[in-house]
Parts: sequence; structure tokens; C-alpha cells
Amino acid sequence: MRLPTLLRTKPEAPGVHAEPFWSFRPQSDREAGDAIVSNFALHWFPAKISKASMAWNYSFWLGTISAALFFLTILSGLPLLFLYVPSIERAYQSVKDIEFVITFGSWIRAVHRISAHLMVIVVALHLVRVFLTGAYKNGVGRGQQREINWVIGVVMFLATLFLSFTGYLLPWDQLAFWAVTVGTNIASSIPMIGPGVRELLIGGRNIDQATLIRFYVLHVVFLPGLLGVLFAYHMWRVRKDGGLARADADAESVLESSRATEVVPTKTYTLLGVARGTAPTVTTRTLEAANTTVNAVPDLTRRALIATLGTIAVVSIMSVFIASPLEEPANALITPNPAKAPWYFLWLQEIVTDTTIRIGSFTLNGAFVGGVILPGLLVGLMTFWPWIDRSTHLAAGVWLPRDRRRQNLVFLLVVLFVLALTYVGMELRGPYWNFYWPWEPWPDIPGRI
Amino acid sequence: MSDKPGTGTDRRDFLLKLGTGAGIAAITVQAGASMRSLVPNVSYDSPTTVKLGPTSEFPEGLKFLPDERLFVFRDGNTFHAVSAVCTHLGCTVHAEPLANPQTVDDDGAAVKLTHRFLCPCHGSRYRGDGANVSGPAPKPLAWFRLSLAPDDGQLVVDLADAVEHDFRLTVG
Repeated sequence: MRLPTLLRTKPEAPGVHAEPFWSFRPQSDREAGDAIVSNFALHWFPAKISKASMAWNYSFWLGTISAALFFLTILSGLPLLFLYVPSIERAYQSVKDIEFVITFGSWIRAVHRISAHLMVIVVALHLVRVFLTGAYKNGVGRGQQREINWVIGVVMFLATLFLSFTGYLLPWDQLAFWAVTVGTNIASSIPMIGPGVRELLIGGRNIDQATLIRFYVLHVVFLPGLLGVLFAYHMWRVRKDGGLARADADAESVLESSRATEVVPTKTYTLLGVARGTAPTVTTRTLEAANTTVNAVPDLTRRALIATLGTIAVVSIMSVFIASPLEEPANALITPNPAKAPWYFLWLQEIVTDTTIRIGSFTLNGAFVGGVILPGLLVGLMTFWPWIDRSTHLAAGVWLPRDRRRQNLVFLLVVLFVLALTYVGMELRGPYWNFYWPWEPWPDIPGRI
Repeated sequence: MSDKPGTGTDRRDFLLKLGTGAGIAAITVQAGASMRSLVPNVSYDSPTTVKLGPTSEFPEGLKFLPDERLFVFRDGNTFHAVSAVCTHLGCTVHAEPLANPQTVDDDGAAVKLTHRFLCPCHGSRYRGDGANVSGPAPKPLAWFRLSLAPDDGQLVVDLADAVEHDFRLTVG
């Protein structure tokens, strides 16, 4: 048997690659395949990817942008690690130095802060996109377990929120101090175990040095580590599940259509030799028409780079113009009026305000109802939704399908409700958490008693 | 290796289980020990019994003590102390003087209501005696026991000793 050209000209053993580096502009399928196989950073990409799943208007690349933002927070966090001192006597001063004394300090801090804020937004949007397209559903591929990736995604979303919250405390200013006070008192409102949980969180009965160091370690070691591990697993699962659910939607349309699928080569002894027929191949029927997929290098890598570079550019420029706030140093003696949580927790602050339940002489603290039970139910429902969703596999990877109209509507209403509460907390709450319309002036209240 | 029951397989099986069990036990104990180390054994918090100063330093009406997060009320020669810690989520409430003070009966003792308390975090409102009136606060502000220090006669509060609303310290 005559050996294929490729094997004759490059007689090395399979899996051994003569090129010291991979090409971003592969001249052959062999090179395009090598770019994936022999590259550590790209090994989680498939060799070929469906064109449809790369469409900008399907996923909006929100996952990639989230990852880019996470990368930016780590990158900007590294210099901050050298400059910030996690001590209640010196934390505030060190942040003030970063902001006003250190060259480029305020910009680095702004990059860190803005990527973190954008990360909360983009991760939330990513979750909304995945829900609305039913992308946690399995399509036609074998052994798909997209539900698992959805659950991991929910945990990553919570980790993102906790990362933001723990970071918010580190400047040890008034905002920080009262956010920890309220946050840990919510934990304390859980019957029986609450006070113990709070004591473990803050390392004592009062918010003090032990509290700062705990939140600091959570912020710089524990939570980023957790998010990093989950991120790697999240990406791996996307591959194991056959890519984005959009690819399944494509395959389904082939299944549904009456036209017969042709027998095409799918397996070969070089990764991408299939396209040119330059290697021995195994032929079979496939749901992927040859023109629906492209090589991951450079088509996927190019777009991923565009999304990443775009994110870096936007954050870098925003950070020049948007200054990071720093309030007065933490003061256990004075609660700011009004004392507002960071924007992504304002809806919770609004809920804990409104959910104290009184039945006769029995009172259930809103801190427990609104701060623990309701968010717990919401997260629980979200986590198990893939098993509650009874729509068919045809609804996987399709924007707003008829099948899932009702659940998408309910989901959007919940999202809208959370946004509305956030707006109320942000704009309509004044001193003593009283309600003021945007055009109403706040009364002049002395800051101290 | 023998497949006969009661011989090699059992021993290998036993050793495998022993090894696995020992590994799990070691990791569990390490994790437990690590977690336990984070539970404080000694509290370095400030003491709960605090000297507040001589009674002459307390004016008629209300005095706010930020360090103790406490309001001390004086009516002639009687004193009582109300906590400034909101019972909802622990912010410090602000006192707002009332235009028309009134006297109400509270637990069988008359209280002159000169102020009301407002929480800046979630909008809880309390009457001058600490009773929760509106907002999310689930219960009234705590009252703490006041006494006179035996050595120098200063006013002393015990922040760990909540008392009923009829408590008054009368200074002779």
C-alpha cells in the first residue's frame, strides 16, 4: 500500500511534532490540527468547530468575555497583592496610597474594580443567555450532560458574587465595614446555627482584624482558586458535551429534514487529514455537513482573541476615566445614612427590608426570610431547573423557542423584578432608607448625632 | 494470587480497604483540624461591662455613647440605657428628637418619650422606649442593666445583661 504523502514526507511517529511552535496561520490541515494538539493553551478547543456556534449573535461570546475579565482581575490583582496590607490599621492607608501615591496605582485599581463589576454583569448575562437558549439541555449527541455544566455555572456565578463582595471589604472604609456588618448579620439570622456561622465568618464576635484577614484570604486564595478550577472544568465539559448547544440545534435540523445525509469521511490518522483525503480514513454517515464546520485554528482562536482584546481595551480605557471611590475610614461608631450595599446586592437589601413577617406575636426577621430563605430558594430553583424543564431536546440551543415560551417568560419576569428592586435601591432610597422619587431632594440630615 | 475465598483475595481486599480508609481518615482529620483552628478559643473583644463616667456627665434627656453603641436616658435622678444596635441587621440607629415629647406606660413604668430612633440601613423605626414601630425590625431595641461602680461611683453598663423595660437605676 502506498503511504499518503503526509506520512512519507514527515516520517516521525504519530503524536510527535517536528515543529517547535504552532502556526496561527496554518498552511495545511496537519498544521491546523497540530495547533490544537501541541499547544497547551489551546488543547481544550476542538480541532473543528461548527460555524453556527461561533455566531456573534448566538452566544454574544459572553463566556469568553467573562473569562477575559477574570483574567484581567487576576492580572491587575497581582500588583495590588504587593501594595495592599491586610491589617485594619493599615489597609485603608495602603489603598489610599495605591489611589493617590503609587504611579499608575489608581489605574491598576480601577482596572481591577471595573473588571470585577463588569464580570458580575457579564456572568449574569451569560447565565441569562444560557437559560433563554435552553443551552443546558442535551441535544442529539451521545453522553451529553449539559445539566452538570449548568450547575457548575451557577456555582461560578455565586463565586463571582462572593469574590466581588470580599473584595469590596478590603479597603476597610465605611462602605466595607457596614457591608460586612449587614452581610454577616444576615448569616447570623439563621435560627440555631446563625450566630455560630457569623462567629466563624468574622473570627470573633466583633468585626475586627480576624474578619479582615479571613475575607482577604477568601478573596486572594480560596475563591479565585475555586473559580479557576471550576472554569477549567466548565471548559472541558463544553467539549465533552459536543460544543455549544447551538451545534446540536444544527444537527437536529439535518435530522428533521428529509434530505439524506451523505457518507463522508470522519476519522483519520492525522487529525485534520479528513478534509483533503490525505490520510487513510474511516467513512460513516454524519450529521455534520462538511461546510458547516471550520478549523478551530484560526477561526475560533481569532474570534476568541478579538473578544479578549476587545474586553481588555474597553476595561483599560474605562479605567482611565472612571475613578474608584474610597469612603471615609471604617468607623464602627457611625453608620452612613443611607448605608447602601454594592449595587449587585441592592435587590437583596431591598428584599430584607420588606420581608419581616408578623403573624400575631410571632415575628420572622426579614434578614432570614429575605436574606437566606428567598435567595436560597432562587438559587435552588435555578440549580435544579434543567431537571424541571420538560421541553424536548429540540429546544436546546435555540433562542426563545416556542416550547419554552412560558418558562422563559417567568425567568425574564424574575430577572426584571431583580433589576427593578436594584433600581429602587440604587436611585429611590434616601436617608433612613426612605423612598424618594428621583426629582425629590433628600432632606438635610446631620451625619452625626 | 489466589481466588479462593478466605485466602489472598481477602487479604489484598482488606489491605486495600485499610489503606483507603486510612487515607480518608487522615484527610478528614486534617480538614477537621484546619477548620477547628479557625474557631476562636479566646475572645479579644472589649469587655461587656463598661464604665460610662460619673453621673454628673449625663445631661437631662439623652446622651449617645458611640463606643458602646448605647443611648443613656436621664430623667431627674433615674437612668436607663437603650441599645443603639438595630435588631434587624445590626446597624447603629440614629436618634431624632421629638417636637412634642409624651409620656407612655411601658411594662408598668412611665417612660417619657423624647426621641424616636431611625435605622439608616433598612429604614426600621423605633419609639423612644425602643419599641419597634415600623420597618423590618423584628423586635424592640434592647435595654441594658445600669449600676454604679462600687469604687468611684461611675455609671456602669452591662452590655451582656438585657433587662425589662421597667428597669430604672435611681441614684440617691
